[in-house]
Amino acid sequence: MTTRVTAQAGTILAARGIVNRFGKQVVHDKLSLEIVRGEIIGIAGGSGSGKSVLLKTLVGLREPDAGDVLLNGKPVLSIGAAEKAALFGVLFQQGALFSSLSVAQNIMLPMREHTALPAKEQEQIAAMKLALAGLQADTGIKFPAALSGGMVKRAAFARALALDPKILFLDEPTSDLDPIAAGGIDALIRQLNDSLGITVVIVTHDLTTLFTVCGRIAVLVDRKVTVDTAEKLMKSDHPWIHEFFHGPRAEGAMKARKISHGK
Amino acid sequence: MTSVPANKQQASADPSPPTVAVSGEGDRLALAGALEIVTLDAARGALKKWSKQGPSRALDIAGLDSLDTPGALFLCGLKDKGVKLTGIRAEHRALLDLICGLDLKPLPKVESVPRWRQFVIQLGKGAHDARHDALDLITFVGRAANWTVCSLLHPYCLRPASISRHIAETGIQALPIIGLMAIMIAIVIGYQGVAQLRPYGGEDLTINLVAVSVLREMAVLITSIMVAGRSGSAFTAEIGVMQTREEVDALKVMGIEPMQVLVVPRVIALVITLPLLTFFADMMGLIGGAAIAQALLDVSPTQYLTRLPQVVDGSDLFVGLFKAPVFAFFIAIIGCMHGLRVTGSAESVGKETTRAVVKSIFLVLVLDAFFSILFEKLGV
Repeated sequence: MTTRVTAQAGTILAARGIVNRFGKQVVHDKLSLEIVRGEIIGIAGGSGSGKSVLLKTLVGLREPDAGDVLLNGKPVLSIGAAEKAALFGVLFQQGALFSSLSVAQNIMLPMREHTALPAKEQEQIAAMKLALAGLQADTGIKFPAALSGGMVKRAAFARALALDPKILFLDEPTSDLDPIAAGGIDALIRQLNDSLGITVVIVTHDLTTLFTVCGRIAVLVDRKVTVDTAEKLMKSDHPWIHEFFHGPRAEGAMKARKISHGK
Repeated sequence: MTSVPANKQQASADPSPPTVAVSGEGDRLALAGALEIVTLDAARGALKKWSKQGPSRALDIAGLDSLDTPGALFLCGLKDKGVKLTGIRAEHRALLDLICGLDLKPLPKVESVPRWRQFVIQLGKGAHDARHDALDLITFVGRAANWTVCSLLHPYCLRPASISRHIAETGIQALPIIGLMAIMIAIVIGYQGVAQLRPYGGEDLTINLVAVSVLREMAVLITSIMVAGRSGSAFTAEIGVMQTREEVDALKVMGIEPMQVLVVPRVIALVITLPLLTFFADMMGLIGGAAIAQALLDVSPTQYLTRLPQVVDGSDLFVGLFKAPVFAFFIAIIGCMHGLRVTGSAESVGKETTRAVVKSIFLVLVLDAFFSILFEKLGV
């Protein structure tokens, strides 16, 4: 994994001196983060440490109180809507599928807005994205209300991939999923990164995902971010990071890492 | 720092639109450039004639700089038709393997139903729903009445805090808008009355018209419709959101009857509030009438006040106020009923809220018509 990253070195997304505050509460204090092209980076942190706020800032949904986010050296906030749609894919925590559209229509919506492909071809591509996300073709005509939690995540995955984004942002992709479904999502993330070369940013506190999927982990503590590989973070002497990587749950996740890396 | 604008310009001009080019002849063609979602149509067009020729063809894709999933899907389609892909770059192989390996089935077609059948189906569904609704309403009225009476008989079951909160929300906060609307409606009736009665020299009767119609009908109707739109919808939305977050189920599990904690306080609060609001609207309507009398008829407020007891009596006020608690009961019941009917999704909260408002306003008008006939027959 790490060798791959260095091979394709080059920062795709850089956050510099980000400050986010709500009233008097400062969530991020001059936080800087560089995301390398082609890597899978996990953003971890305790509840309320501002993971989702950071994600929103990176995507350009939230303007930081100070600092800027650069995509290929260009401020994210200045990128046009269509260009951004082709660069960013976001999987929201609750899926955020449009409830008035069927799953296939959800996937086709960005294509309909931003490309001139005929409807039939869009349907083919939608079917391909569904299969890519591990869903049956007949899920396509279902409405989001009729889907289970795992299927919602996969359908949202398929929609996030609709325009073949360069960076995929995943907000808690495995939360509320059973271990089998969560494992499936983990495998899917790795597969997409391997074969499509997509840069993936995962916000999660699922330790198994962090250990088995992510090349580097950005830990949000004390309003700053500490980025490193899991191995090095485990040796960190910061109390919170130590606790995070050495708790009873972390042990099981480490085992999973050994298994998956052994393969 | 001065180079920033230049940089920006360069960055925006730099990514020229991706293109795809086809070269070569006969059985062997080469594809170069970018095969992406935006160039897919161009590539398909260029290869259209060629792809219809016989087998033993080869497509060289070594010149492809970028390939995305729709592009890969297109290439896999060609491959399935017997085209041999050559010169696949290492970075494209994984993608092609992945996409070609997918078990692709077309999206199933949604069965389309002819318009006339849709109409028949909707008619049937509508009738079924209407019957269902009516039965539900009757059941719910019964249950709510049962719980309300039960709570009144056992006052320790009452939730005074909840009731007073709802009285504040449905009553006190509604005062400004209801007062304003009552004045407006009095002005509207007053103007129409003067315009219609003047040719007959009876414009003085406008005072009768305004006073009687406000006290008997307008105040209570306007107030009820306003409350249905304001508070009935709030009841549905509040209970509906609780329903989506499983709070109602949580109550049941704790052995607390939702009817008792959610419905009864709202019903009692609204039954108390609406008559009071109606009385307030009566007063504001009469004040509006005084303003009209002064402006159009040159009747001073003092004269107006002395005229009032001659043109209206207690029964007019009573007729209006009598209807208020009945309307309030139904508005609250319908609001709560639709709130409890909400199923999981947030969408259904909106749907049920709309239904609750439409149904309660409809029912208020139906009941009002019924009361009009009843009071006429009773000679009140």
